[in-house]
Amino acid sequence: MNSSMTITDQMTSKKPDAELKRRVLSKIGEHKPYSCYQCIKCTSGCPSMKMLELKPHEIVALAKAGFIDELINSGIIWACATCLKCKERCPQAVAPVDLIMALRNLAVDKEAKVPESFLHDLSMILECGYVSRPQPTITRKLEKIERDKLNLPKFKECDERFKATFMKALEAKTESESQH
Amino acid sequence: MKVAVYWGCVIPTSQYAYEMSVREIMPHLGVELVDLDNASCCGTPVQSVNMIAAVYLAARNIAIAEKMGFSDLLAVCNGCHLSLFEAAHLLNNDEKLREQVNSLLKEEDLQYSGKVKIWHTIDFLHDMVGEGAIKKALTTSLNNLKVVVHYGCHILRPSSVGTVDDPENPQKLDRLIEWLGVKSIPYPEKLDCCGAMLMLSHPDAAFTFTGLKLKAAQDTGADALIDSCPSCQNMFDVRQRSAGATTGAKLNMPVIYYTQLLGLAMGIPQEKLGLNMNRSPVDEFLQKALVH
Repeated sequence: MNSSMTITDQMTSKKPDAELKRRVLSKIGEHKPYSCYQCIKCTSGCPSMKMLELKPHEIVALAKAGFIDELINSGIIWACATCLKCKERCPQAVAPVDLIMALRNLAVDKEAKVPESFLHDLSMILECGYVSRPQPTITRKLEKIERDKLNLPKFKECDERFKATFMKALEAKTESESQH
Repeated sequence: MKVAVYWGCVIPTSQYAYEMSVREIMPHLGVELVDLDNASCCGTPVQSVNMIAAVYLAARNIAIAEKMGFSDLLAVCNGCHLSLFEAAHLLNNDEKLREQVNSLLKEEDLQYSGKVKIWHTIDFLHDMVGEGAIKKALTTSLNNLKVVVHYGCHILRPSSVGTVDDPENPQKLDRLIEWLGVKSIPYPEKLDCCGAMLMLSHPDAAFTFTGLKLKAAQDTGADALIDSCPSCQNMFDVRQRSAGATTGAKLNMPVIYYTQLLGLAMGIPQEKLGLNMNRSPVDEFLQKALVH
């Protein structure tokens, strides 16, 4: 039996990483996961539970136990559809979706495996200010239509000043992160 | 009434029918829309990547409305509405974050001070425009229609920041529909998510969300599904065929924006409401609604 005060992963004998745990919890409020009493209301209403076996209550428990590295390297944090029901219904205001978002942010920082589309959206915003430029669409009768032909105002891309500021924003750290 | 309007990314780059129908109906209701100068993404897609950058993007658009002298900002997309609304809540309650974001905004001579009220199409029409003005603008009666509604997650939750309607039992869109003489049918899946946000990581699961909800909507016998979010519309309307193939359901559900339905009741021509661009089978619905 393991006699230490912290949980050890029985498969890998790995100890949780206290620094990573602090980084994640500081983004959502240190106390929050500790308010969770595992009532499982989040998971029972989670649409991604049915489809992708996302269990928000388990994510909260694992984060509380400090298994952050495991969480950010597992694909499960990308299974959330952000329907926000867990945040709405949690009787303890834990908001598992906020924790999932904080874990995703950390996965990006640590260059863990991040679905390509998120990075694509980001590069588009850096390029033009939006996740896309106007796309041609088709009608029910399969005619191709461009935005320009619809008597709508011209679509304007963002200028260089925006792009420079957005780059700065991406490098910005929160107060609690910058203390370390 | 002059109101600033923010379209986000999805509407001006692909969901043109929503933009056209909103632009068409508002003058009939005495509302003049003014587009934000040099707007950008609302921050939603960046939330998974970097929360500060996401809040900055949201605040930037609100700050533009503030600089242009508006006290009301209409964010017609559900995702944008939540991003702006939630950022405003964070910034109003966290002075350090507000300072940090304002120092970024200053680079473009912008400032967030919390003076702008953020609306979505649904609460703007329901609360600000109201029943009287809407009913007064109607010129065409829609035949005995019954529809089901889809609110979309991001205008309902989380109620901790304040939302457009009740998070568990929303009624505003149902009422807006009833003001047009159309019946809204209750159904158990009313609050189910469309799955759009999963398109970035698990498209098959996203289509399953969409397909199951559409099947439930169709099983009610409703004439159409009415929504008001470009991302949900993109799933239910544009991707209906993929959703049907993924779930093995035979889907045949007309999907229409509320603003398109309202436009029809105002007698606005279908082309001006972009109804030729709905990809779901809306022709039969239009026939049933309009031919007397």
